Amino acid sequence: MNLGTRKLLDRSFTALGVGSIVIMGMMLLVVLMPILSNGITANVFRGTIEHRKLLYNEFRRGDHAELQRQIAESDAARRKAYAMMAAFEAEMKLMSEEKHAGYQEKYDQVKSAMKALLGPVPGEELPELTRFKYGQTRWSKAEERLHELLYEKQWDYSNPDVEAKEYDVSRAASFQGTSLVKLFPYVESNIDRMLLPEWTVYWGFITDSSIDSHMFGGIWPEIQGTIFLAVGAMLFAFPLGVIAAVYFTEYAREGFFNSLLRSANSTLAGVPSIVFGLFGLAFFINTLKVSESKSVLAGSLTLAIMILPTIIRSAEEAILSVPKTYREASLSLGSSKWNTIVTVILPAALPGILTGGVISLGRAAGETAPIIFTAAVSVGSAIGLADVFSSPTPALSWNIYNLASEHEAASEIRHVQYGMVLALVTIVLMLNLSAIILRARISKKLKG
Amino acid sequence: MQLSAEAIETPKTAQTAVRDIYLPPERKKISGGGVPHLSAKNFSIYYGEFEAVKKVNADILSKYVTAIIGPSGCGKSTFLRSINRMNDLITSCHTTGALLFDGEDVYGKFTDEVLLRKKIGMVFQKPNPFPKSIFDNIAYGPRLHGVKDRKTLDGIVETSLRKAALWDEVCDRLDKNALGLSGGQQQRLCVARTLAVEPEILLLDEPTSALDPKATAKIEDLIQELRGSYTIMIVTHNMQQASRVSDFTMFFYEGVLVEHAPTAQLFTKPKDRMTEDYITGRFS
Amino acid sequence: MNGDSPATAGRSSAFIVSARKRKLQKITRMAGESTLFLIAAVVAIIVLFIFYFVARDAVPFFQIRGFSEFFTKTDWYPADDPPRFGALAIIYGSLMVTAGSALIAVPMGVSAAICLSDVIPFSVRQYVKPIIEMLAAIPSVAFGFFALVILAPLLQNFGGPILMWTWWLIASPFLLLAVIVVSELLSTSIQDDSRRRVVQRILVAVFGLLSLLFLFFVGKHLQEIQILTGTNALNVSIILSFMALPTIVSVSEDALQAVGRDLREGSYALGATRAETIVKIILPAASSGILAAVILGIMRSLGETMVVWMASGNSSHVPEPWYNYLESVRTLTATIAGDMGEADQVTGSARFHVLFAMGLLLLVISFISNFISERIVVRQRKVLSGQ
Repeated sequence: MNLGTRKLLDRSFTALGVGSIVIMGMMLLVVLMPILSNGITANVFRGTIEHRKLLYNEFRRGDHAELQRQIAESDAARRKAYAMMAAFEAEMKLMSEEKHAGYQEKYDQVKSAMKALLGPVPGEELPELTRFKYGQTRWSKAEERLHELLYEKQWDYSNPDVEAKEYDVSRAASFQGTSLVKLFPYVESNIDRMLLPEWTVYWGFITDSSIDSHMFGGIWPEIQGTIFLAVGAMLFAFPLGVIAAVYFTEYAREGFFNSLLRSANSTLAGVPSIVFGLFGLAFFINTLKVSESKSVLAGSLTLAIMILPTIIRSAEEAILSVPKTYREASLSLGSSKWNTIVTVILPAALPGILTGGVISLGRAAGETAPIIFTAAVSVGSAIGLADVFSSPTPALSWNIYNLASEHEAASEIRHVQYGMVLALVTIVLMLNLSAIILRARISKKLKG
Repeated sequence: MQLSAEAIETPKTAQTAVRDIYLPPERKKISGGGVPHLSAKNFSIYYGEFEAVKKVNADILSKYVTAIIGPSGCGKSTFLRSINRMNDLITSCHTTGALLFDGEDVYGKFTDEVLLRKKIGMVFQKPNPFPKSIFDNIAYGPRLHGVKDRKTLDGIVETSLRKAALWDEVCDRLDKNALGLSGGQQQRLCVARTLAVEPEILLLDEPTSALDPKATAKIEDLIQELRGSYTIMIVTHNMQQASRVSDFTMFFYEGVLVEHAPTAQLFTKPKDRMTEDYITGRFS
Repeated sequence: MNGDSPATAGRSSAFIVSARKRKLQKITRMAGESTLFLIAAVVAIIVLFIFYFVARDAVPFFQIRGFSEFFTKTDWYPADDPPRFGALAIIYGSLMVTAGSALIAVPMGVSAAICLSDVIPFSVRQYVKPIIEMLAAIPSVAFGFFALVILAPLLQNFGGPILMWTWWLIASPFLLLAVIVVSELLSTSIQDDSRRRVVQRILVAVFGLLSLLFLFFVGKHLQEIQILTGTNALNVSIILSFMALPTIVSVSEDALQAVGRDLREGSYALGATRAETIVKIILPAASSGILAAVILGIMRSLGETMVVWMASGNSSHVPEPWYNYLESVRTLTATIAGDMGEADQVTGSARFHVLFAMGLLLLVISFISNFISERIVVRQRKVLSGQ
């Protein structure tokens, strides 16, 4: 091969490596960007009058007089629409039986679309579920509902070779010649006045409890559950891990037992997380009976086992990176070994140990599989600190799965799911970021 | 148990015994000094199978400065570090023979190495202050040994820093991190830290090898100041330094103590051919 | 001054303590050390407990149903009457997504590790490492959510074009490179310089045209593929590969760094390019460490639960044909997570214990691969230190 080709190969090789790293960076962006941009919409969005009503009714938040004024304003706009509907109902009663039946079904669709958009029709009985008590609280959703009111979805099966395509049919067209036909242009042009959208910053998304299984409200119970589980896991794993690391670095002598212990540590690090969940169920709940069924305590213990190897490893590294001279200096001043460890080595290694601890905390907060069988429930309110020994808790990681995969209206509450993912990712990445900063400061300090 | 220079039994290898204290005119004789403070008797140090220091017989006289010289790898540091049992940190290290400190075996069955190290302080090659404040560095030792009272600690810190000739430079920033000091100041801080636990013997393991000439001069001055109050042993690879600061010099070669004599004598009229070759720079 | 006065007598024994005190010290130290040892041994005890408790609940399944059905049948109907527990399709699903993710993650991870250890200057590396760490830190459920809500609809709606563009982007540079290298190699035997250049150019043109056609037709074929469901093995493999990447990168980088400077310098001094040095000298020297990295990365994919549970489609069948990554699959981890909810109400039935059997299978696989990778790392360290 001549030199040119060799150099070309060399450059391509470099490009391959750089490309891989760039792809990794892009993947990080591709995953984080939608989570960030959509997650924000859980907090900041155009809220309608229905959102403000909900906040006032459920949490007594907002200015009552102003709210009443706005309700009056929107009701004024809505009244006309309801009047049109009432007029059409009256008209239908006068129709022939056959014609009546033909319109009834279509009219029911219109009525339910109106209910979905604006909430229950005044004068009707209030429904049981909160989600049916209010119209659309978010303007973006309201626009979708408006579209459903104005157009009917139809499927095009004309070409059997390709998948059926959907297309829209105007509802107004199917009510041609009746009084209802005026309703559609009226609602379309007056929807602003009916819903009065305004930009809303809803911090309550973080601090409120959920209402009607996350249809409305916030995610505080999940955030709190995540904090309880992660901190609980640290309470068990951190002291244990640091002490074990002290043993491994300062006391362990080369030998069969210690290589066995080290192997055990790396085996533990490699156990699949779902197996921790199985173990937690079989050991902590079914055998030790730390609680009757799932509980925060059982979940924390399971997570603690999972993060233990990480803590041990990072603490070991931190202790080993303490300069040997500190140890010598302390010993030469007549300090005992244990004293040296406690007063010199551990303080010097503390930032490194904390770095590992913080990263493990993030891992415990983000992990799902171990808590499925041991601690997590899908619906529930925030639990008190006293209940951690006996009750399960909702947690961000589990509820993201649950809302995205098992909720009956999963696609309706994407914003809540995104908001939860954002909250979880923020917690975890903040912890990691602080670990990275902490480590940078250590290396600076060691350089002098 | 008392030992005087006369009472000591003659070591087997005669040339390593220091019988008379021969001092050049500019060095004063120290009253109350000159008693064998440390005595090595057939003292050997092994790393596993390897004999790093071979059957040393020597008396280190109290209150005087003894320098240990020799080419690198000759066992001089190993010997020094074995005196306050710092070699215990190396698991494969063990000793034979006896090393007597005030007549008691350092490696005896009933020796508490923690108490021993309190009596025999050590300063290392590289300045190694703890990443704490200057005050806490000095107070570390006394606190370990039970001094809690702040006033007493203040006193100890000041005296130690004064003894180490560092007080004037740092008295207004005792609460600052010790790592902010210059290398020479750090090394004097380490000396002060060692003095704070009131040792009897001070071991200096190449204390100036990481310092610039000015800082080195200050450390050497400090050694002169401390001479007479402490028994000082200093390992150095710098023969000029040995001749400047010490009263006695031990020359090690390949683990063997070749010659042990008053410094003025060893550098002018070495008895051993090997010593002569070394100090005249024929090998190093 | 405290010279050789009686004060010395008191002083001399200052470091000598009574036999009793010495004994007491020894006992205290022994007690302290054994306490520490016991605490450190908790780790080993936990590992034993995990094996014991998972196996304890797994054994009843094999007692009731035997081994052969679990490992050889593909029909998984645990809720039927009579239930059927053929887990082969599920095991196959696990292997399939693991292999798929390894296929993506191993080349990327190893080349990224090489880049980090040998190409990128240190100052840039400081900024690249946090990217990898962040990738490792993102919770698996967030990846799963991404796979389910963003990637799956994308694949389902634009699967064909996505596959085509990926093919173009990845294949074209490699083919171009291959064309140049092959034409060069074929023409080396010609002695005359100018003639050789002409031949070479002709060869490049011919091969270039051929490979362009190849690229185009394969791309066209790919574009026509309709992906019926976005929650399939391909989706999961892509996401899993990005979850395995940080492990592979950091462990291989350690292995590469362990190869000393002198080997590199020796090769450069002989006139080798960086790529040649890496491929011929460094990779062989670090190969066992990289193998360990790959094993650890694969284990991460095999043990991952949330992504596969959310985005694999959870359909327990062997795809048709067996390498069809565009079909839904089901994995061991997802089955454990998904079926426990229904099974644990009837604790004691085979349906409950079969999940533990799957857990035991995962546990044994992870134990073995961990053991192997550890052996490999130890051996590499020995080889490099020249023993």
